[in-house]
Amino acid sequence: MNKALRNPLIYVLFILPAFILFLAFFIYPVFTAVNNSFTSWNGISKNVHYIGFDNYVQAFNDLAFWKSVRNNVYFILFSCFIQVPLIIIFSLLIANVKRFKGLYKTAVFMPSIMSTAVIGILWGFIYNPDFGLANEVLGLFGVSPVYWLSDKNWAMISILITNAWQWTGFYIVMVLAAILSIPKELDEAAAIDGATGFQRATKITLPLIMPIVSVVIMLSIAGAMKAADIVLVMTKGGPAGSTDVMATYMIRYAITSFRHGFGNSIAVLIFVFTIIITVLYQVLIAKRTERIEY
Amino acid sequence: MRAIKKTIPHIFLMGYLLIILYPFLFVVFSSFKTNNQDIASNPFGLPGSISFDNYVNAWVNAKISTYFLNSLYIGILAACVSILFAAMLSFAVTRMRYNKISAIVFQLILLGMLIPNNSLLLPIYGIMRKLDILDTHMALILPYVANAIPFSVVILAAFMRSLPGEIEEAAVIDGLSSAGLFARIIIPLTIPAIVTVFIINFLGNWNEFLLANYFLSNDALKTLPVGMVGFRDAYNTNYAQMSAGIVFSVVPVMIIYAILQEQIIEGVTAGSVKG
Repeated sequence: MNKALRNPLIYVLFILPAFILFLAFFIYPVFTAVNNSFTSWNGISKNVHYIGFDNYVQAFNDLAFWKSVRNNVYFILFSCFIQVPLIIIFSLLIANVKRFKGLYKTAVFMPSIMSTAVIGILWGFIYNPDFGLANEVLGLFGVSPVYWLSDKNWAMISILITNAWQWTGFYIVMVLAAILSIPKELDEAAAIDGATGFQRATKITLPLIMPIVSVVIMLSIAGAMKAADIVLVMTKGGPAGSTDVMATYMIRYAITSFRHGFGNSIAVLIFVFTIIITVLYQVLIAKRTERIEY
Repeated sequence: MRAIKKTIPHIFLMGYLLIILYPFLFVVFSSFKTNNQDIASNPFGLPGSISFDNYVNAWVNAKISTYFLNSLYIGILAACVSILFAAMLSFAVTRMRYNKISAIVFQLILLGMLIPNNSLLLPIYGIMRKLDILDTHMALILPYVANAIPFSVVILAAFMRSLPGEIEEAAVIDGLSSAGLFARIIIPLTIPAIVTVFIINFLGNWNEFLLANYFLSNDALKTLPVGMVGFRDAYNTNYAQMSAGIVFSVVPVMIIYAILQEQIIEGVTAGSVKG
């Protein structure tokens, strides 16, 4: 037994392919990003100049950079304060209906398996000022057309709505799974004691699903920091940088204007900001929602 | 009174379903209309007559067929390779007797799930240029395989851990080596988890946009999401034809989802919770 499962050659051979790829595409890139962030490299030439923290100083002094950070923050705030309450409400509704439960669960999840790029195109069409669905619906209520993606007051909110449309169902399914795994007896006992449906939802179900809600918030923060393709496809960061996020800001400098070193410093900042937010969240909030055993 | 109380949740949920599903219907209707004027004058309604001209134009002129096949082949190949590598690593880490090294390797791989992968776009671009494989399909397949490994390992290792040890003991007594054990016992037993992981990886590759957009410039090599964006930019005055393109890129995923939705939902939620 031990002999067969203690073959060092096989062990190494089995681990190596995945491990080499992992080192090459996760660990090594992190180090090169940090290294390149201290250079003024254009991404092509042979000679590389180290310029210390200049790239970071420049980023921190650039108003457009802070605008892109602010838009990442909008992504986070929108998901925490608008999406999460909706996710909880719809999950509770689906968990408590008897008919069509499967239909609801299947349909709400559908947008999350679709390509973000294609969803960006689809919603670009919906937001079309002349014959898009959004203005047609507004027209039914007598509201005048909105230039969704070309008006800088509306472009960001349009993207946030599309993003929410894509991902809300994904999280509903997660929360729903948590609700359905709560033992029925708890709810029944409360019902016998005379608790109303609303009381049972807020006093029993909600506290029991807080750990999974915490995971949902974590995942939406991570998703908010990653957001890029939806912005690139829908507005390319425009109009006038009003929908830029850190990732699109990085891409513009690094690939379009050949400032590879500067782009790498933004990549490092994305990484650092994500870690800071994650750790802060874990320390300040997630710790208080301890795991509950039934 | 009770009947009313029972229908209220359905009213809200049906409203939500309408918001989820109507955009698709809008695009399908638009794809059968002849021109923008037709869409503008009757945005909600069914098309006057059913004509597949837009579909034929999109498939043939706009090369949707090429993009479609590129995505299909890259998606399947990368998903298969990442599963093979992830399964090998998971087997070594969970079933072979090197507990200390295994714990370290496993934790390191999990670290990969914390790294926001679009911040690695530039360094990976650099690697691809050094390897001189930019503008080949290899430039996508390699990072796709690597990207899928942490998630695949989490799911496959959890599944393999739950397999009872007695089967292995019996197999070893019958004379199987550890490699034979992997190929003939562990892999067949792990098929359910492998299927789930395959679908998730495939969908991830099928939908990927950033790398595909920046690593390939040759039009004949492009994948569907990138091709669709190019198609929109080229035809953005013809919304009827664009709608047909959208339908082409959405329908395959919907079919996969319709057949395998249980497994997809289970896999994605399990992965995200454990990650």
